[in-house]
Amino acid sequence: METKFDMIVIGAGHAGCEAALAGARLGKKVLLTCLNLDSVAFLACNPSIGGTAKGHLVCEIDALGGEMGINADETSIQIRMLNEGKGPAVHSLRAQVDKIAYHCRMKKVLEENPSVFLKQAEVTEILVENEKVIGVKTALGESFFAGAVVVATGVYLKSRIIIGEFSQNIGPNGFASANGLTQSLLDLGFEIRRFKTGTPARINGRTIDFSKLAPQEGTDGISFSPLSKNPNKNVAICFETATNLKTHEIILKNLKRAPMFSGEIKGVGPRYCPSIEDKIVRFPNRERHQIFLEPEALSTNEIYVQGVSTSLPADVQNEMYASIEGLENAQIMRNAYAIEYDCINSQELSPSLESKKISGLFFAGQINGTSGYEEAAAQGLVAGINASLKLDGKSSLVLKRNEAYIGVLIDDLVTKGTNEPYRMMTSRAEFRLVLRQDNADSRLTEIGRKIGLVSDERYQLFKKKQEILEKMRKKLEILIKIDEKTKKFLKENQEPIPSGSIKAIDLLKRNNIDIYKLNETYDLFSEEETRFMDTINTEVKYSGYIKQQNDEIEKLKKQEEVSLVEVEDYFKIKGLRIEAQQKLNKIRPETLGQASRISGVSPADITVLSIYLKTRKK
Amino acid sequence: MGEKTICAISTPLGNSAISIIRMSGKDSLKIAEKYFSSKSLNYKKIEERKMYLGAFKAEGISEKCLFVYFRAPYSYTGEDVVEFQIHGGEYLAKKILEILAKNCSLALPGEFTKRAFFNGKISLDEAEGVIDIINAETQAELSSAYNLSSGKFNREISAFQKSLTEVLAKIEVALDYPEHDEELITTKEAQKVLLEIGDKLEQIIENSSSGQKLKSGVNIAICGSPNVGKSSLLNALLGRERAIVSSVAGTTRDTISETIVHNGIKFNLTDTAGIRSEGDEIEKIGIERAKKEIENSDLTLFVVDLTRETTEEEKALLKELDKEKTIVVLNKKDLAAERKLSGYTCVSISAKREENISNLLNLIYEKTIANKIDLSKIVLTNMRHITILKEAKKLVDKTLQTLDSMSLDVVAFEIKRVWNELGKITGETETEEIIDEIFSKFCLGK
Repeated sequence: METKFDMIVIGAGHAGCEAALAGARLGKKVLLTCLNLDSVAFLACNPSIGGTAKGHLVCEIDALGGEMGINADETSIQIRMLNEGKGPAVHSLRAQVDKIAYHCRMKKVLEENPSVFLKQAEVTEILVENEKVIGVKTALGESFFAGAVVVATGVYLKSRIIIGEFSQNIGPNGFASANGLTQSLLDLGFEIRRFKTGTPARINGRTIDFSKLAPQEGTDGISFSPLSKNPNKNVAICFETATNLKTHEIILKNLKRAPMFSGEIKGVGPRYCPSIEDKIVRFPNRERHQIFLEPEALSTNEIYVQGVSTSLPADVQNEMYASIEGLENAQIMRNAYAIEYDCINSQELSPSLESKKISGLFFAGQINGTSGYEEAAAQGLVAGINASLKLDGKSSLVLKRNEAYIGVLIDDLVTKGTNEPYRMMTSRAEFRLVLRQDNADSRLTEIGRKIGLVSDERYQLFKKKQEILEKMRKKLEILIKIDEKTKKFLKENQEPIPSGSIKAIDLLKRNNIDIYKLNETYDLFSEEETRFMDTINTEVKYSGYIKQQNDEIEKLKKQEEVSLVEVEDYFKIKGLRIEAQQKLNKIRPETLGQASRISGVSPADITVLSIYLKTRKK
Repeated sequence: MGEKTICAISTPLGNSAISIIRMSGKDSLKIAEKYFSSKSLNYKKIEERKMYLGAFKAEGISEKCLFVYFRAPYSYTGEDVVEFQIHGGEYLAKKILEILAKNCSLALPGEFTKRAFFNGKISLDEAEGVIDIINAETQAELSSAYNLSSGKFNREISAFQKSLTEVLAKIEVALDYPEHDEELITTKEAQKVLLEIGDKLEQIIENSSSGQKLKSGVNIAICGSPNVGKSSLLNALLGRERAIVSSVAGTTRDTISETIVHNGIKFNLTDTAGIRSEGDEIEKIGIERAKKEIENSDLTLFVVDLTRETTEEEKALLKELDKEKTIVVLNKKDLAAERKLSGYTCVSISAKREENISNLLNLIYEKTIANKIDLSKIVLTNMRHITILKEAKKLVDKTLQTLDSMSLDVVAFEIKRVWNELGKITGETETEEIIDEIFSKFCLGK
C-alpha cells in the first residue's frame, strides 16, 4: 500500500469524516484511519442530528459544502422544527436519524470518493520533524507520511466506561479504546485533560407500553440541505414520558453508589447535558424530568431514552427505568454508562485549529473538549479545509463570530477555552439575530465556493434561491390600493386603515399581519416562491433589529481588524496587568478583538494594548 | 503608559501645616536618592511603606522632612511612588517641585489617577469619582463624587444588571432547551423586573437632573420693574458691590451673573434688566435677555418695592411666572409697612441694610434643593452617567414594548442592550471612546 499522502485524518467520527471529505474534495489525497470501520460516523449517543444551535451548525456545514446535513436528511426517519413560537433566530431543525443507515451511508460516501483512503488502524504516534508534522505511525508498526495531520480521536483516547462499581478501559458501545496516542501528544508537549460524558440505556421497544404515552410526530417538507434527494421520511414516532418522585427516590437512595459522587469518576462532565443523578441533586425541588423515547433505527427495536443518562450500577438502572411510566416492564438491552477520555486544551490551537507549536498538526472534535456530533463535524470541516489550504500555501479560513455559529464555536475554544465538554447554544452567539438557519447559505455559500468546496450543483441552487428572494423583495415594493378588499383585510387584522395607497412591504411590517395572510389576500407569490416566505417574513419583520445588530458588528469590526501578530512579548507592555500579560502570552491572540474575549483580559487592558499599538506605529 | 516619571504637589496650595509632594514612575526612587538623605535610610535596603525622617538638600535649601516609598505595583498609581512630607507654605513646596522637575516631568491634572486606572489599580467609575473629587468646588458636589469613588453607585447599577442577567438566563433556557419543561419565564416576570428597573432609573435620573445643579449650580434670576432694588439685592446676597447701583431707572441694561455658595450648594445669581413696557432700543434688548434668563433659571426672585403700590404691569408680569419657581422679594421693608402677595412665596427684606437676607437664602435653598434632591440617595453630577441612564431608561421602555409584540429572541436582544448600556457605567462594556471621553476631562486644566 501507498504510504505517502497529502493529508492524514486520525479517526472517522463526525469530525474525521468531514475533515477527510473536505480535504479530498479540495483535491488532496487523504488517508482516513479508524480503530474499527464499523464505528465510522457512529452515533454513540442519541440517534438524532440537530437541535437548538446544533441545527444551525448543520445548516452552516451544509452551506459550506460539508456532508452532515445531506447524510442526516437521507437517513432521517423524523424531522421537526424546534422553537417555532420563539422567533426565527432560534428556529432549529432536529432530525431523528436511522443510526445504522447514517453510519452506512457516510461510510459509502467515503469509500466512493477516489481521494479518500479509509483504513482500519490505530495510530499510536504522530511523527514530527523540526516542529513540523510529517506523518503517523500505527500500532501495527506501519508509517504513513503527509504534510498535514488532523487529529479527530473523539472520546477514544484512553477511554474508560463506568457503570456503578464496574469500570473497563474501552471506548463507547464496546468499541476498543486508543491507548497509545496520548503519550505521543504528551511527548509533543500538549496538555492532556480528562473529560467525562455519558449515555442512557437502550430499551427493547417491544417491552415498552406506548399506549400510555404522548406521541410526537415530525413535520413534512423540511430538511437541512437543499441537495437532499430523499428528504424526511416521517416514518418514526417518538414518545414523551417523565421521571417521577419514585424514580428520584431510587436514585437518591443509591447515590453513594453513583461514580459521579463516590469519586470514581474524575473527569469533568458537561453541565449542559447532565446525568439524571446530577439533575436530581442539582434541582431537588423538581418533581419530574422530561424524557423522550427515540427509535435508534428502523431495522431494530432498540429505543434510546433521552434524558436519563446515568452511571448508576446495573441493578439500580433496572429499578430506576422500571419506575418510569410506560417502562414498567422495560427490558434494558444496553446499559447506560459514563465514559472518561483524554482531550487537549483547545487554547493551544490557533483559530485555524492548527497547533500553535507544531506546524501542519490540526485538531478537531471531542479531543478539543467539545461535546456533540454537530460541534465535532463543524470543527472537522474547518480543520480539513485549513489543512488543505495550508498544503496549498494559502491563508486559512477563520469564520468570524458574526458570520457563523462555527465562528463562535472555534473562537470560544481557542480564545476562552473550556473546562467542561463544550456544547453549542444559541445564547453563546452574541449576533444571534443575524445567524439564522434560514440564511446560513447567504452567509457562507460564497465563502465555501471561493475555497472550492461548494459543488456546481449546490452553487446553482444557491444562486437560484437568491434570484427568487430578490424577485420576492421586488414584489413587496408594489403599491396596494386601499380598496374594499384591503379595508376588510386590515379590519380583520385590527390594523388601522391608511389613506391613499400602501406598499405591500409596509403592510407586512404591521404587527398583526404576516406573510401568509398577506399572500392569501393578494396572491403575490408563485409556487416556487412560497417556499421562501419565512425567510422574507423574517427579513421584513426583524429588519430593525437586524440593522441594529449589523451596526454593532460594524463597530466591532475595527477591533477585529487590528492585528496583534507582531507583538512579541506582552510582559514588555507597560500598564497591562500581570494576569493579562500571562494570558496574552499564553494564548497569543491574532487580533485585538480576540484578545478582548480572553477571560482575565479586562477592557482596561484592551485600551492599554490599543494605545501601545498606536504609539508604536508612530 | 507610565514611561515618564512625573511629580506634583499633592496637597492644595495655600496655608497649611504640611505639603506633600508626590513622584511616580520608575525613576522616582533614583531621583529621591539625589536629594533626600536620612541616617536610618540605606537606599539599597529601603523598606517600603515606611516613614523616614531626614532632610531634603539642594540648591541652598535643607528642609527637614518625612519620606516614604511605595514599591510598584503596591502604590496608588501601580508604579514606584515616593512622597515627601514637608512644612507647609507655597514657596517651599514650589521650590522643591522645581528641583524635582529638573529630573522628571510635571504631572498633568489627574495624571496619577489616570496611571492608576491604566495599571488596573482602580476601576473606571472609581477613577471618574476621583476626577470629580479633584474638580469638586462645593461640599455637596464632593459628597456626590465620593459616592461614586466609593462604589455605591456602581453597586446599584450592578444590581440592575444582575436582575437583568437573571431574566436573560431564564429566557435563554427557554430558547436553548425547548424540549424540556424547564421553568419557562413568563413575559409577566420579565415585565415586572423591567418595570422595577425602569422606575428606579427614573428616580435616579430625576434626583440627578436636579443633582446636576450640584455641579453647575442652581440658576437664579433676579427680576422686577426698574428701580425696585434688584442690583442692591444681588449685592446684598453677594455681600459686596458688583452690579452698578443707581437710582436712575434702567441702569442695568445687560445681565450680570455672580456665584455664591450657600449650604454647600452653588447658586448662580443673574441680575436682569428692569422689565417695563416702554424704553429705548438697548433696554429692549436687555429685557428680551431678561425674559430668556427667567426661562432658563431654576428660580426667579421677583423684586417688588414696598414703598410703592404693586403696579398693573408687575401683576401682569407675575402672572407669567411659574408660582412654584418664584419667590416674591418685598424690598425696602425699612421704609414701608410689610405686605404680602397672596398665592406667592413672599419674603420681606431690606437690601440696603442687608436685613432678612439669610432668611431669603434659606428660602431659596428650600425651594431649589431641600425639597427636590434627597442627598442621602444617589445623586449623579456626572453628565456622562446621566446620559447613559437616560438611554438605558429609553431602552427599558422599548423592551417593555417588545414583550407584547415580538418573539423571545428579540426580547433577549433588547434586554441585552439595556445590560450593555448599564455596562458603560460599571465598566463591563467600556470601549476606547468612552475611556477617551472620560480622560479627556483630565486635561481641561483645572
